[in-house]
Amino acid sequence: MNRREFFKFSWGAVGIAALCSAVGISLAAVVRFLMPSVFYEPPQTFKIGEPGDFPFGPPTFLVDEKIFVFRDRDKGFAAASAVCTHLGCTVAHFSSDQKFHCPCHGSVFAADGSVQHGPAPRALDWFEVTQARDGQLRVDKDKVVPPTYRLMV
Amino acid sequence: MNLIREIWQSIVRRDPLSTDKGKSELVFLNVWLHIHPAKVKKENLKFRHTFYLGFITFFLFLILLTTGIALMVYYRPYPPQAYQDMKDLQYVVFMGPFLRNMHRWAAHGMVICVFLHMCRVFYTSSYKKPRQFNWVIGVLLLLLTLGLSFTGYLLPWDQLAYWAITVGTNIGSYAPLVGGQVRELLLGGHSVGEAALLRFYVLHVAVLPSLMILLTIVHFWRVRKDGGLSRPIWKLNSKKIETLVTIGAPAEVAPLQVAAASKDKTYGLMEVVTGKPIFETVTPEEEEDTVFSYPYAFVREAVVLMATVTTIMAMSLFLNAPLEELANPAKTPNPAKAPWYFLGLQELVSHSALLGGVVAPALMVLALLAIPYLDRNTSRNLADRKLILWLFTIFVVANLALIVVGTFFRGPGWALVPPWVHVVAGAE
Repeated sequence: MNRREFFKFSWGAVGIAALCSAVGISLAAVVRFLMPSVFYEPPQTFKIGEPGDFPFGPPTFLVDEKIFVFRDRDKGFAAASAVCTHLGCTVAHFSSDQKFHCPCHGSVFAADGSVQHGPAPRALDWFEVTQARDGQLRVDKDKVVPPTYRLMV
Repeated sequence: MNLIREIWQSIVRRDPLSTDKGKSELVFLNVWLHIHPAKVKKENLKFRHTFYLGFITFFLFLILLTTGIALMVYYRPYPPQAYQDMKDLQYVVFMGPFLRNMHRWAAHGMVICVFLHMCRVFYTSSYKKPRQFNWVIGVLLLLLTLGLSFTGYLLPWDQLAYWAITVGTNIGSYAPLVGGQVRELLLGGHSVGEAALLRFYVLHVAVLPSLMILLTIVHFWRVRKDGGLSRPIWKLNSKKIETLVTIGAPAEVAPLQVAAASKDKTYGLMEVVTGKPIFETVTPEEEEDTVFSYPYAFVREAVVLMATVTTIMAMSLFLNAPLEELANPAKTPNPAKAPWYFLGLQELVSHSALLGGVVAPALMVLALLAIPYLDRNTSRNLADRKLILWLFTIFVVANLALIVVGTFFRGPGWALVPPWVHVVAGAE
């Protein structure tokens, strides 16, 4: 390779590198543009009410938060996700068999949330329940806890 | 009178249609018609060769474009107004139900016709050299059709819309590595909400239709450039093997010597392109088999257009597009079923989200795309193609069977329930 050929090759390489990086950066910018910087969505931590609002026995279903709140006389409070781990449908709790049933593809979850039947890949989530200073119960959907977790009030 | 004639002749420059020159110029000099050849083979006009499925699909797409633009006038893409607007279209807007019905039935018809068109092209071997790439474009057009159907489903913001999109985007999240991000990108958030509706709206009315139009243009152009329609199978005889030379593709013969350019000579393209031109030169016996596109092809196309529009209009008078109750994130309908053409996918997903929702569909699409390149058999005779005919037929039957099972044999909780057994809705 002589000097002239070397420069010709170098300029070509620089040109192709510049083109590739311009295309790459533009594509990355488009993807970043499509990712919202702010999500105007409800907070993951929220208060659900006074302990006394919740009856013993069958769980209370909170519509907007999509959780079941359980209250047990001996063990205390717990909150289970109502979102099926398969494809996000809302499960229903049947008091007849104490299980969660998903209407979309027939997944069945046991009382502790574990998968008993159907295509769901993992158990239902249980969320941390704590008591706020004002006495209200607070659920944090970012904190997943084991199904044995209970809050005694 | 001279002025009127002058105006007419400034618009229409061709000779009278009573002459052959006029019939040719009608095609050559018209931007909309010149995608046609001036003359077509008689055998290619036969209904039983193509069933005009490509034309029907295209005409359904035209219906979808026009009714879709009309519907946009009364539709706001944010909840809960979107649902309100659907109710207005149903009960308040003049001809609203009719337009919405036309849009819905044309969309269903398009899914069916694209699929049937693909089957026709497969069984007549029309994807073989030199038409391989146009088959690939066709598969992409099938995917776009399904994508448009899927994004259109969310817009009414009813229960069906909400849960179809929830399930659909969650299937996307099972894709390896990028799944979660893909879902977030599609939804513009973590759950199906305002941002998701707006994004699906943009996809449905701008992004996907633009791609559809661009690829449709390429698809039609390639039909011409790949040598027009393939000969009907019943015209194939073993003596004469059809050899077509694609313009731009390297010819097997040595390139013609191009004479040195002289200053007072202008060259036509035919002197530069090597190989046998596809349309202009035909052998005398082939010439006898051709007719002018005007009127033979155009009249047939017009009849198909009118039949398509009439059928969709008639359906829209008597069958109403369903609209369920307002989307309710708290209550999943039981059973929650996708539109019929996705019920095969939903059936697969009910067994495994990763295998059925991501791996199997991806393999199916890859297999479809690869057919013209993997099938090395050049024969178009059905008798020589036993294996691939079986494979493709199994693919078609399996897809139909999954859709039938998902549609008629799945009850509440996706349990296997034969259609003749009545299940009391809501019983838990």
